Amino acid sequence: MDELYLDNIDEYVNDQDKIVTYKWLSLTLGVHVNTAKQMLFHYLDHKRKESSAQLHATYLVSGKFVDNGQTSHKVSVIKEDQLEDFKSKMSLIVSVHVYSVQKALLKDSGPLYSVDYDAVKDNLKNCSRYSAIRCASAVPMSPVELQQTREVQRAPTPEPENRKPGVNGEASRASKPSAKPQKGIMGMFANKSAPKNQDSGKDVKAEQKEEAPVVDAPKSKPEAKANPMMNFFGSQAAKKAEQTVKQEEAAQSSTSAEQQRQTSKPEEKRVAAAAAVELPKDAKKDSRSKTKRLVDSDSEEEKMDKKKRRRIKKPEPDSSDEDVIPDSPQRMETREPSPSPKKVQPVSHSNQGNSEMKMRKRRRVLKSRTFLDDDGCIVTEKDYESESYSEAEDDVHAAKQTPKDPVPAKLPSSTKQDEKRSQKRTSANANKGTKQASIMGFFQKK
Amino acid sequence: MTTLTRQDLNFGQVVADILCEFLEVAIHLILYVREVYPSGIFQKRKKYNVPVQMSCHPELNQYIQDTLHCVKPLIEKNDAEKVAVVIMDKEHHPVERFVFEISQPPLLSISADTLLSHVEQLLRAFILKISVCDAILNNNPPGCSFTVLVHTRDAATRNMEKVQVIKDFPWIVADEQEVHMQEPRLIPLKTMTSDIVKMQLYVEERAQKT
Repeated sequence: MDELYLDNIDEYVNDQDKIVTYKWLSLTLGVHVNTAKQMLFHYLDHKRKESSAQLHATYLVSGKFVDNGQTSHKVSVIKEDQLEDFKSKMSLIVSVHVYSVQKALLKDSGPLYSVDYDAVKDNLKNCSRYSAIRCASAVPMSPVELQQTREVQRAPTPEPENRKPGVNGEASRASKPSAKPQKGIMGMFANKSAPKNQDSGKDVKAEQKEEAPVVDAPKSKPEAKANPMMNFFGSQAAKKAEQTVKQEEAAQSSTSAEQQRQTSKPEEKRVAAAAAVELPKDAKKDSRSKTKRLVDSDSEEEKMDKKKRRRIKKPEPDSSDEDVIPDSPQRMETREPSPSPKKVQPVSHSNQGNSEMKMRKRRRVLKSRTFLDDDGCIVTEKDYESESYSEAEDDVHAAKQTPKDPVPAKLPSSTKQDEKRSQKRTSANANKGTKQASIMGFFQKK
Repeated sequence: MTTLTRQDLNFGQVVADILCEFLEVAIHLILYVREVYPSGIFQKRKKYNVPVQMSCHPELNQYIQDTLHCVKPLIEKNDAEKVAVVIMDKEHHPVERFVFEISQPPLLSISADTLLSHVEQLLRAFILKISVCDAILNNNPPGCSFTVLVHTRDAATRNMEKVQVIKDFPWIVADEQEVHMQEPRLIPLKTMTSDIVKMQLYVEERAQKT
């Protein structure tokens, strides 16, 4: 009876040319994983003594590894010929066992994953039935707790990465010998799962039926550096491994009926999936809202800059010719804020705006007046004057000024303008007092 | 439960697409496992949720894609009986032949497996089998090259010659030298039966390779 398994394994390996992993064997024969590992070892031993067929084996080595002074817990799948070499590099070996036996010499580890994929998929609900990883304190969450954890997980992003393995993988964490080695593996998965959160989260949702075996998660670790695709597997497998383990604990420790277990499992899966998906969403949301706010304030500041820039620009067109005061359409924007900066800001900053298209506003305008002085010379003076313009007047001005002769005409027109301006000064003042102060006050505070 | 006939070209196209995708992955994998090209050009990628090795070399990829692009119309019309990936030695004598025998049932019916996940599982098994086939095959001599032969039913090739599917990529009738293998050994690898396609993969190997 006890020797039957040797024939079974023989059949799988030699006749069917299968790759026999311990996980696959335990699920196929319905035995505990440790028994399966021992079976494989005995088989290998037996065959090696007989030295009949050429068999290859891979081993799983787990232990402490010191790398540049940093100790970490390393779990790797090693080919047989590299086994001794690898074992010598580890500072402390926690476990070594046969991972798989096959006839073919594998060039890469891809098939090892494929072998277990279907076996685990078929036994989805109880694929950890024969597992050696246990945690008595892992219990399915009630809906209330579920809600609470969801809300808690909307916390800032750095936290969730550490927490996610905690929520999902408490079971596996408790079972590992020390906390630090766990951090090593989980930290690595957390880091890698950060950019791939969304992908793996979505995949977790979509592929809830498919799970990777627990061991494949550590297996992917040594290859993770070499290959981003295996990283994807690693993070995905880790997430799923945690899920399967958690489910396993839930199944084992819960005393309630089958129904409750089944409903809690989808809940857990949903929690994990929701957590994974929500986290990136929330992070995105937060960043989006932040950027929105920033954008708003930026635009306001831009406006201010624009106004300032425009004001400074203004002297150039004005210096050339007083009459040709460009109807600055751009002045439109600066219209509103202009009156109060006039008051508060020093003269140099204030604008020389001329056209106020829509509203009646008071402005300090850099105007150049030309006049005949005592010597009979025509003098052009630049001066800031408060003036209030409305659109109609502006157009009238422009119409009036352009056809006239430049020099003599300027005199009368400028004086006229001055009078008009002075007349309107008071009213403009009043206007300004009532309207603009509040808006500019808002800007000034910034 | 929908029953579609071959006249429903859309479904035929779907099947052809699936098969051509699979054949592309299989060809890349065969090239990797049988060491036709150095393993450095291969990169691990994912197909059917398992890791597979695909080449990164652009010309090789283009060649394989063009080949399958021409094969696709034959599969659509169910004219392709076999697709063979032949590995030849330096003298252009075939050393190994991976033959995919494809047959499609005349009445394609989509049953419960509308997502084709069962088909995916079967294709995954094929991929796994190719990965471990070097256990049963002898090593190839160095300096091998490969080619793809298509065995068609009836006279479908006449149509192919008339209509060049891809410009500058003509298909010619294979030489006897390329087809005939001395003392072939037949090794079956995998068979699959599904609603949409029946496929069989076996390897013909020359008894003496070097």
